[in-house]
Amino acid sequence: MTPTPDAIEYELRRYLLAEFLPGESPANLRDDTPLRTGGILDSVATLKVVSFVEQSFGIEVEAHEAGVEHFDRIVDIAALVRRKRGR
Amino acid sequence: MDLEFSDEQRGWHDAAVDFARHHLCNDVIAADRDEAFDRAAWKAAAEFGVLAMPVPKAMGGLGLPITDVIAVMEGLGYGAKDQGLLFSINAHLWTNTMPLVQWGTPDQRERWLPGLLDGSKVGANGASEPDSGSDVFAMRTRARRDGDHYVLDGTKMFVTNAPVADVIVAYATIDPKLGAMGVTGFIVDAHAKGVTISKRIEKLGLRTSPMAEVVFDGVRVPVIDRLGREGRGVGVFESSMEWERGCILANCLGVMRRQLERCLDHARQRRQFGQSIGKFQSVANKLVDMRLRLDTCRPLVYRIGRLKEAGRDCTVEAALAKLHVSDCYVKNGLDAIQVFGGYGYMKEYELERDLRDAVGSTLYSGTSEIQRNLVARGLGL
Ligand SMILES: Cc1cc2nc3c(=O)[nH]c(=O)nc-3n(C[C@H](O)[C@H](O)[C@H](O)COP(=O)(O)OP(=O)(O)OC[C@H]3O[C@@H](n4cnc5c(N)ncnc54)[C@H](O)[C@@H]3O)c2cc1C
Repeated sequence: MTPTPDAIEYELRRYLLAEFLPGESPANLRDDTPLRTGGILDSVATLKVVSFVEQSFGIEVEAHEAGVEHFDRIVDIAALVRRKRGR
Repeated sequence: MDLEFSDEQRGWHDAAVDFARHHLCNDVIAADRDEAFDRAAWKAAAEFGVLAMPVPKAMGGLGLPITDVIAVMEGLGYGAKDQGLLFSINAHLWTNTMPLVQWGTPDQRERWLPGLLDGSKVGANGASEPDSGSDVFAMRTRARRDGDHYVLDGTKMFVTNAPVADVIVAYATIDPKLGAMGVTGFIVDAHAKGVTISKRIEKLGLRTSPMAEVVFDGVRVPVIDRLGREGRGVGVFESSMEWERGCILANCLGVMRRQLERCLDHARQRRQFGQSIGKFQSVANKLVDMRLRLDTCRPLVYRIGRLKEAGRDCTVEAALAKLHVSDCYVKNGLDAIQVFGGYGYMKEYELERDLRDAVGSTLYSGTSEIQRNLVARGLGL
């Protein structure tokens, strides 16, 4: 099933909270919360997010696309997913 | 947890003890002093099948369940004096062969696995560098794409088996700015132009397992020998570490059991002050601790086998096993020497080598501090 635009953000938030922010109030993770530059994700953790995104949304992320530009905030990741899915 | 062997496992375990007693005990005091790698024993181990055991039958292996492989490793550890050779076998299996099994393309497996399984090729793993050990993904070795090749430049540190290796599973970054996301795995022909052993490294223990620093100077690796996707070397490396952390210390279970048996014999026979030294509570306590360590280590290692067989992630469990077994292994080595008194300190009794062999276990495949970090992360801290 193709997730609706909001579902992408929702799935990402759910995954990030469970995997990297256990016990954190969901209200503290907004779509524009900095993940890489805010210290929530290091580059190894980002790789996990990349794998999750690939598996959950059926896209392929190239090495050069997995940097801060596309993986710092939920909005950025969701935008990348949408752009790739739109192709 | 039931740790009784099945008939099959008992058969493999006992065969491994027998094999090790016959082939892995050849003048090890001299080999340890001279840092000699026993090529004949390596070949014999391959003929016994150990290099093929965890590899699926469809890929030319024996396809043994991992708990059976662990039982074999425990048996080898028990019967062998040459723990360095067993260490080389483990490095070859878990950080070279298994990554190929798990991440290799059918073509890569076809080209590389036969020699690794029959022992005609020796495998090594090149991840650590002079400036990146625990922080391994800060590696500097570069891989530049040039047509249908990558060109590798950099230095790999502490490469077990390097002086005798034919195939190196090596990691390099396609762009240091990408951090872990630049790290990429490669299958490197150790005899290719530009691969040099820049320095043999002498060690405290495991001295019969050769080690060296390796320099890649413009090494051309065909794109078809990239292992996994570009920028996904972390996954390849982490999975190999999970194998190694979980299984490399299975040999130590055998060593710890042998130490306990030797110490029990000695404590019963050695008399001081008119009685056997085992009657002194402070000596008996050491033997109790040795037994306790063995009994707490075995379930942790066999649990990895069961998790692996169930296809489950075991990052935390492998780190716990590595952390606890390595700690116990070193403590057992010290206790065994103490129980034997001055004799334990002398080379002739072959207990001091066990201790020297044990110390590295708190360092390789990630130090004990790093294992604690992995467990803490798994606990959500
Ligand atoms: C016998 C042996 C065989 C080996 N074989 C291979 C091989 O085949 N291939 C290969 O690539 N490498 C191999 N290694 C290298 C091994 O993986 C590294 O030695 C190990 O990862 C530690 O790196 P380092 O030696 O650079 O120490 P460093 O990373 O410099 O660590 C120094 C100290 O700082 C501590 N430390 C570092 N970071 C942290 C942290 N975040 N938190 C807490 N403490 C920290 C460490 O635990 C350690 O006590 C081998 C090592 C040994 C001893």
